[in-house]
Amino acid sequence: MPLVGTEDIVRAVCTDKWDGERLSPSLFVGENISVSRLALIPLADHCDLFRQYVQQPPERRLELIAEINVGRLQDIGRAQNPAIALTVEPKPVDWNPAHGEFPQRITRGLANKILPELKLHHPSPSNQR
Amino acid sequence: MSVLSFQTQSPAYSLVEELRELAAVAAVRRTAPDELAREELLLRKLGPKGWGRVYHFRNYYASGWGENGRVLSPRALDAFFRFVEEANFPAGKSSPSVFLTDRGGIELCWEDGDGKQVQVEFTGTGAEFYRAVTEEEGLVAFEGLAQLARRLST
Repeated sequence: MPLVGTEDIVRAVCTDKWDGERLSPSLFVGENISVSRLALIPLADHCDLFRQYVQQPPERRLELIAEINVGRLQDIGRAQNPAIALTVEPKPVDWNPAHGEFPQRITRGLANKILPELKLHHPSPSNQR
Repeated sequence: MSVLSFQTQSPAYSLVEELRELAAVAAVRRTAPDELAREELLLRKLGPKGWGRVYHFRNYYASGWGENGRVLSPRALDAFFRFVEEANFPAGKSSPSVFLTDRGGIELCWEDGDGKQVQVEFTGTGAEFYRAVTEEEGLVAFEGLAQLARRLST
Protein backbone atom coordinates (compact mmCIF):
# COMPACT_ATOMS: atom_id res chain seq x y z
CA MET A 1 0.00 0.00 0.00
CA PRO A 2 1.49 3.37 -1.02
CA LEU A 3 2.64 5.86 1.60
CA VAL A 4 0.23 8.58 2.65
CA GLY A 5 0.85 12.17 1.59
CA THR A 6 1.73 13.28 5.11
CA GLU A 7 4.88 11.13 5.25
CA ASP A 8 8.33 12.58 4.71
CA ILE A 9 10.98 10.64 2.84
CA VAL A 10 14.74 11.01 2.45
CA ARG A 11 17.36 10.02 -0.07
CA ALA A 12 21.11 9.77 0.49
CA VAL A 13 23.24 12.11 -1.61
CA CYS A 14 26.80 10.90 -2.08
CA THR A 15 29.88 12.38 -3.77
CA ASP A 16 28.83 11.17 -7.23
CA LYS A 17 25.64 13.30 -7.10
CA TRP A 18 26.92 16.43 -5.32
CA ASP A 19 30.00 18.46 -6.20
CA GLY A 20 29.72 21.01 -3.42
CA GLU A 21 27.78 23.40 -5.62
CA ARG A 22 25.10 21.61 -7.62
CA LEU A 23 22.93 18.58 -7.04
CA SER A 24 22.68 16.03 -9.83
CA PRO A 25 19.17 15.72 -11.29
CA SER A 26 19.93 12.04 -11.96
CA LEU A 27 19.40 11.60 -8.21
CA PHE A 28 15.70 11.34 -9.13
CA VAL A 29 15.78 10.26 -12.80
CA GLY A 30 14.72 6.72 -13.75
CA GLU A 31 12.67 3.86 -12.31
CA ASN A 32 12.52 2.32 -8.84
CA ILE A 33 14.29 5.23 -7.18
CA SER A 34 15.12 4.30 -3.59
CA VAL A 35 14.02 6.43 -0.67
CA SER A 36 13.68 5.93 3.06
CA ARG A 37 10.86 6.82 5.47
CA LEU A 38 11.34 9.27 8.31
CA ALA A 39 8.18 7.93 9.96
CA LEU A 40 10.02 4.70 10.75
CA ILE A 41 13.60 5.86 11.27
CA PRO A 42 14.47 9.36 12.51
CA LEU A 43 16.78 11.60 10.49
CA ALA A 44 19.72 11.27 12.88
CA ASP A 45 19.61 7.48 12.59
CA HIS A 46 19.46 7.76 8.80
CA CYS A 47 22.89 9.42 8.93
CA ASP A 48 24.33 6.32 10.58
CA LEU A 49 22.40 3.97 8.31
CA PHE A 50 23.52 5.69 5.11
CA ARG A 51 27.09 5.92 6.34
CA GLN A 52 27.14 2.25 7.11
CA TYR A 53 25.34 0.87 4.05
CA VAL A 54 25.23 3.47 1.27
CA GLN A 55 28.49 5.36 1.23
CA GLN A 56 31.61 3.46 0.19
CA PRO A 57 34.63 5.33 1.41
CA PRO A 58 37.07 6.50 0.37
CA GLU A 59 35.71 7.22 -3.10
CA ARG A 60 32.01 7.60 -2.34
CA ARG A 61 31.03 9.56 0.73
CA LEU A 62 27.71 10.65 2.17
CA GLU A 63 27.50 14.40 1.52
CA LEU A 64 23.86 15.31 2.15
CA ILE A 65 20.49 13.86 3.02
CA ALA A 66 17.68 15.16 0.81
CA GLU A 67 14.18 15.27 2.34
CA ILE A 68 10.78 15.82 0.75
CA ASN A 69 7.16 15.34 1.71
CA VAL A 70 5.24 12.67 -0.24
CA GLY A 71 2.21 14.96 -0.69
CA ARG A 72 4.43 17.71 -2.10
CA LEU A 73 5.93 15.20 -4.53
CA GLN A 74 2.48 14.17 -5.66
CA ASP A 75 1.57 17.84 -6.26
CA ILE A 76 4.69 18.22 -8.44
CA GLY A 77 3.71 15.11 -10.42
CA ARG A 78 0.17 16.38 -10.97
CA ALA A 79 1.49 19.75 -12.19
CA GLN A 80 3.60 18.08 -14.91
CA ASN A 81 2.38 18.00 -18.48
CA PRO A 82 1.33 15.21 -18.92
CA ALA A 83 0.46 14.71 -15.25
CA ILE A 84 1.99 11.76 -13.47
CA ALA A 85 0.59 10.09 -10.34
CA LEU A 86 3.64 9.62 -8.16
CA THR A 87 3.52 7.07 -5.35
CA VAL A 88 6.02 5.66 -2.91
CA GLU A 89 5.74 1.95 -2.18
CA PRO A 90 7.22 0.49 1.01
CA LYS A 91 9.97 -2.01 0.07
CA PRO A 92 11.76 -3.02 3.27
CA VAL A 93 15.23 -4.52 2.74
CA ASP A 94 17.56 -6.33 5.15
CA TRP A 95 19.60 -3.28 5.99
CA ASN A 96 16.73 -0.80 5.98
CA PRO A 97 13.18 -1.60 7.13
CA ALA A 98 12.18 1.96 6.13
CA HIS A 99 13.20 1.50 2.48
CA GLY A 100 10.72 2.49 -0.23
CA GLU A 101 10.64 3.02 -3.99
CA PHE A 102 8.91 5.07 -6.67
CA PRO A 103 7.52 2.51 -9.13
CA GLN A 104 6.98 5.21 -11.77
CA ARG A 105 9.66 6.31 -14.23
CA ILE A 106 10.77 9.83 -13.37
CA THR A 107 11.85 11.91 -16.34
CA ARG A 108 14.64 14.47 -16.28
CA GLY A 109 12.11 17.28 -16.61
CA LEU A 110 10.17 16.04 -13.58
CA ALA A 111 13.37 15.52 -11.58
CA ASN A 112 14.22 19.15 -12.25
CA LYS A 113 10.94 20.17 -10.62
CA ILE A 114 11.64 17.98 -7.58
CA LEU A 115 15.18 19.19 -6.92
CA PRO A 116 14.35 22.77 -5.84
CA GLU A 117 11.78 21.41 -3.37
CA LEU A 118 14.27 19.26 -1.49
CA LYS A 119 15.28 20.14 2.03
CA LEU A 120 18.99 19.38 2.30
CA HIS A 121 20.54 18.20 5.55
CA HIS A 122 24.25 18.05 6.21
CA PRO A 123 24.94 14.77 7.96
CA SER A 124 26.36 15.11 11.45
CA PRO A 125 30.16 14.81 11.61
CA SER A 126 31.44 11.31 11.94
CA ASN A 127 34.69 9.82 13.15
CA GLN A 128 34.53 7.38 10.27
CA ARG A 129 36.95 8.31 7.48
CA MET B 1 67.94 40.97 -6.73
CA SER B 2 64.31 39.92 -6.48
CA VAL B 3 63.35 36.87 -4.54
CA LEU B 4 60.48 34.79 -5.82
CA SER B 5 58.49 32.89 -3.32
CA PHE B 6 55.57 30.54 -3.67
CA GLN B 7 52.44 31.56 -1.90
CA THR B 8 50.73 28.92 0.13
CA GLN B 9 47.42 28.26 -1.55
CA SER B 10 44.90 25.51 -1.05
CA PRO B 11 44.67 23.33 -4.16
CA ALA B 12 41.64 23.73 -6.42
CA TYR B 13 41.01 20.00 -6.31
CA SER B 14 42.44 17.48 -3.93
CA LEU B 15 41.94 13.78 -3.47
CA VAL B 16 41.21 12.37 -0.05
CA GLU B 17 44.28 10.87 1.57
CA GLU B 18 43.36 7.22 1.03
CA LEU B 19 42.97 7.76 -2.69
CA ARG B 20 46.34 9.48 -3.06
CA GLU B 21 48.10 6.21 -2.33
CA LEU B 22 46.04 4.41 -4.96
CA ALA B 23 46.74 7.19 -7.46
CA ALA B 24 50.48 6.74 -7.00
CA VAL B 25 50.15 3.09 -7.99
CA ALA B 26 47.96 3.98 -10.96
CA ALA B 27 50.49 6.57 -12.12
CA VAL B 28 52.80 3.92 -13.62
CA ARG B 29 50.18 3.28 -16.30
CA ARG B 30 51.17 4.83 -19.61
CA THR B 31 48.70 7.39 -20.89
CA ALA B 32 47.41 7.30 -24.46
CA PRO B 33 48.78 10.05 -26.76
CA ASP B 34 45.44 11.86 -26.98
CA GLU B 35 44.93 11.55 -23.25
CA LEU B 36 46.96 14.64 -22.48
CA ALA B 37 44.96 16.69 -24.96
CA ARG B 38 41.77 15.46 -23.29
CA GLU B 39 43.05 16.38 -19.85
CA GLU B 40 43.95 19.83 -21.17
CA LEU B 41 40.49 20.19 -22.68
CA LEU B 42 38.81 19.33 -19.38
CA LEU B 43 40.94 21.77 -17.42
CA ARG B 44 40.25 24.53 -19.91
CA LYS B 45 36.49 24.02 -20.19
CA LEU B 46 35.48 22.57 -16.81
CA GLY B 47 38.21 23.83 -14.49
CA PRO B 48 40.17 21.84 -11.90
CA LYS B 49 37.08 20.59 -10.10
CA GLY B 50 35.52 19.15 -13.26
CA TRP B 51 38.83 17.60 -14.30
CA GLY B 52 39.29 16.10 -10.83
CA ARG B 53 35.82 14.60 -10.72
CA VAL B 54 36.19 12.94 -14.12
CA TYR B 55 39.53 11.49 -12.99
CA HIS B 56 37.87 10.30 -9.80
CA PHE B 57 34.95 8.62 -11.60
CA ARG B 58 37.23 6.92 -14.12
CA ASN B 59 39.68 5.54 -11.64
CA TYR B 60 37.90 4.85 -8.38
CA TYR B 61 34.30 3.81 -9.11
CA ALA B 62 34.40 0.06 -9.71
CA SER B 63 31.42 -1.92 -10.98
CA GLY B 64 28.68 -2.26 -8.36
CA TRP B 65 29.38 1.08 -6.67
CA GLY B 66 26.43 2.62 -4.82
CA GLU B 67 23.12 0.87 -5.45
CA ASN B 68 24.44 -1.51 -8.13
CA GLY B 69 25.95 1.36 -10.07
CA ARG B 70 27.70 0.60 -13.33
CA VAL B 71 31.26 1.50 -14.07
CA LEU B 72 31.69 4.59 -16.28
CA SER B 73 31.05 3.53 -19.87
CA PRO B 74 34.01 4.21 -22.23
CA ARG B 75 31.52 5.12 -24.96
CA ALA B 76 29.77 7.55 -22.63
CA LEU B 77 33.13 9.10 -21.85
CA ASP B 78 33.94 9.43 -25.56
CA ALA B 79 30.59 11.12 -26.12
CA PHE B 80 31.28 13.44 -23.21
CA PHE B 81 34.66 14.49 -24.62
CA ARG B 82 33.20 14.98 -28.08
CA PHE B 83 30.54 17.27 -26.63
CA VAL B 84 32.87 19.25 -24.35
CA GLU B 85 35.20 19.91 -27.27
CA GLU B 86 32.40 21.59 -29.23
CA ALA B 87 30.59 23.29 -26.36
CA ASN B 88 31.06 26.84 -25.16
CA PHE B 89 29.95 27.45 -21.61
CA PRO B 90 28.92 30.97 -20.51
CA ALA B 91 31.86 33.03 -19.32
CA GLY B 92 31.69 34.57 -15.87
CA LYS B 93 29.46 31.81 -14.51
CA SER B 94 30.61 28.93 -12.35
CA SER B 95 32.10 25.99 -14.26
CA PRO B 96 29.77 23.13 -15.25
CA SER B 97 29.30 20.34 -12.72
CA VAL B 98 30.15 16.72 -13.52
CA PHE B 99 28.29 13.74 -12.03
CA LEU B 100 28.41 9.98 -12.44
CA THR B 101 25.04 8.35 -13.05
CA ASP B 102 24.01 4.93 -11.77
CA ARG B 103 23.77 3.50 -15.28
CA GLY B 104 27.42 4.29 -16.00
CA GLY B 105 26.81 7.60 -17.73
CA ILE B 106 28.42 10.94 -17.08
CA GLU B 107 26.32 14.05 -16.60
CA LEU B 108 27.14 17.69 -17.21
CA CYS B 109 25.05 20.49 -15.65
CA TRP B 110 25.42 24.24 -16.04
CA GLU B 111 23.35 27.43 -16.37
CA ASP B 112 22.84 29.31 -19.62
CA GLY B 113 23.35 33.07 -20.00
CA ASP B 114 19.98 33.70 -18.32
CA GLY B 115 20.78 31.45 -15.38
CA LYS B 116 18.50 28.61 -16.57
CA GLN B 117 19.52 24.96 -16.15
CA VAL B 118 21.05 23.02 -19.03
CA GLN B 119 21.89 19.33 -18.57
CA VAL B 120 23.27 16.55 -20.69
CA GLU B 121 23.79 12.94 -19.63
CA PHE B 122 26.15 10.94 -21.85
CA THR B 123 25.49 7.21 -22.06
CA GLY B 124 26.73 4.25 -24.04
CA THR B 125 24.28 5.07 -26.83
CA GLY B 126 24.39 8.87 -27.05
CA ALA B 127 23.06 11.61 -24.83
CA GLU B 128 19.91 12.69 -23.01
CA PHE B 129 19.47 16.43 -22.61
CA TYR B 130 17.26 18.92 -20.79
CA ARG B 131 16.93 22.66 -21.23
CA ALA B 132 14.93 24.45 -18.54
CA VAL B 133 14.24 27.61 -20.57
CA THR B 134 12.08 25.67 -23.04
CA GLU B 135 11.46 22.63 -20.80
CA GLU B 136 12.70 20.60 -23.74
CA GLU B 137 14.17 17.16 -23.13
CA GLY B 138 15.28 14.55 -25.61
CA LEU B 139 17.79 12.02 -26.84
CA VAL B 140 20.51 12.33 -29.45
CA ALA B 141 22.76 9.70 -31.00
CA PHE B 142 26.57 10.02 -31.16
CA GLU B 143 26.40 11.64 -34.60
CA GLY B 144 24.25 14.45 -33.23
CA LEU B 145 26.52 15.43 -30.33
CA ALA B 146 28.44 18.22 -32.06
CA GLN B 147 25.21 19.79 -33.24
CA LEU B 148 23.67 19.47 -29.77
CA ALA B 149 26.74 21.12 -28.24
CA ARG B 150 26.40 24.09 -30.57
CA ARG B 151 22.67 24.33 -29.94
CA LEU B 152 22.98 24.26 -26.16
CA SER B 153 25.87 26.72 -26.26
CA THR B 154 23.78 29.50 -27.76
